[in-house]
Amino acid sequence: MGFLRKVWAIVAKDVAAELHTREMVSAMLVFSVLSLLVFSFALDLRGAMARAVAPGVLWATVAFAGTLGLSRSFAREQQTGCIDGLLLAPVDRSVIFFGKSLGNLLFMAVVDVVLLPLFSAIFDVPLLRPGVLVVTALGTVGYAAVGTLLAAIAVNTRAREVMLPILLLPLAVPALIAAVQATGYLVEGGTLAEVGGWVRLLVAYDLIIVAVSMLTFGYVVEE
Amino acid sequence: MREPGQDRLGIALTGLSAVVLFVALGMAFLYAPREATMGDVQRIFYFHVASAWVGFFAFFVTFLAGVGYLARGERQWDILALSSVEIGLTFIAMTVVTGSLWARPVWGTYWTWEPRLTISAVQLLIYIAYGMLRAAIDGPRRKARFAAVYGIVAFVTVPLSWFAIRWWRTIHPDILTGGGGMAITSRMVHTLLVSLAAFTLLYASLLRQRVRLERATDALARLRARIETT
Amino acid sequence: MSNLLYLLCAYIVFWALTFVLVFSIWVRQRRLEREIAALQARLEEVGRGKGVASER
Repeated sequence: MGFLRKVWAIVAKDVAAELHTREMVSAMLVFSVLSLLVFSFALDLRGAMARAVAPGVLWATVAFAGTLGLSRSFAREQQTGCIDGLLLAPVDRSVIFFGKSLGNLLFMAVVDVVLLPLFSAIFDVPLLRPGVLVVTALGTVGYAAVGTLLAAIAVNTRAREVMLPILLLPLAVPALIAAVQATGYLVEGGTLAEVGGWVRLLVAYDLIIVAVSMLTFGYVVEE
Repeated sequence: MREPGQDRLGIALTGLSAVVLFVALGMAFLYAPREATMGDVQRIFYFHVASAWVGFFAFFVTFLAGVGYLARGERQWDILALSSVEIGLTFIAMTVVTGSLWARPVWGTYWTWEPRLTISAVQLLIYIAYGMLRAAIDGPRRKARFAAVYGIVAFVTVPLSWFAIRWWRTIHPDILTGGGGMAITSRMVHTLLVSLAAFTLLYASLLRQRVRLERATDALARLRARIETT
Repeated sequence: MSNLLYLLCAYIVFWALTFVLVFSIWVRQRRLEREIAALQARLEEVGRGKGVASER
């Protein structure tokens, strides 16, 4: 069975499980909307101010909702004992990593796809531009990758899921800054070329973080 | 078991770092000039930057120790990692606090999102997360392994964070701190270099002490195990 | 005037934190050495009492 087929098998398993229960994505979505509500009340977002902080509120929401999904993904593995089955199978650990992180990326992407139009409407900002979509995708990829690695670690600690945001958020700083800055510029009418610096940073972040996560993932899941 | 007797190198290191530290202190107050715009308050700069440098360097050592542990699986690498974190954490805390105490008189606010202070705050949080991670894991091997992985991934993001924060602050300069505003003279550079040397020696000295402490803790645990089996 | 106070506080912070770290390591080291010595003494007693101590 080829590398991609094995990875896809893991992704398919996670997607099937999620379609069956729908607990994770629905929780992430409801949380996102509630988070949006809280931000709106907390910052009294209207008019020009709303447009200015929209990228920031968007990414803060994505980051927090992401931690929900990421920790749930591995908590479920542990509960069902599935991770042991995966480890017994003669697959390279990187297959498991790509499978899990792709699955997590998919779930986060679903949330992104719902949030972008929602935020566009509520904040009156044009978030559905191709440039914004590219930036959102790049940011989500990096976040999902390092989030998957750290979720695998967090689920094995005494504090479990609570540990994940503490571990993840400081490491997501480059992606968060780049994504928010680039998005902010793009919705003001900038082009992707003009935010090239931020895009390059996101790409560099993604490449480095995926490589390091993939290389170290094996050490996290081995027993 | 050998008596934990005279650690000649450790004592020499401690002595040397104390000497250079006092020299740096003297230079900061007597040799370095009074800065044009900020006045004497600017003298915080030397130890503030030196501690920032050591804080980052300690993190780098933790990164290397993490790689070493994953590669070899030997306890000595884990000892190095946790020791460097403990000391690095102290220095980064110093950086953040002294940076805040510098910001207040100069810019009127206890906090400013200027690059060095911000990246130090990020590193501080990573250090704390590392410590919490270690505390939340049972079993020495697992603790060492997970900590090593986190140390590696976390360190790799720091240069990226640094660039991101720098660019962010270039595009949106802090209205309060503006571009910087410090007139650097050669005497300041000398003082800074000596401060860096002093802090690096201090780090090495403290690291050595902390590593020895951890080794002694291990020895104690082994002794206890022996007693229980007899 | 109060600017110099901040300068002073910053240097106090530096010395205080360094001292806290050094002291904490020193205290732990002392405690450890005492425990090791106590356990070593116990081990020798047990060894004498049981004849040949199990060497590994």
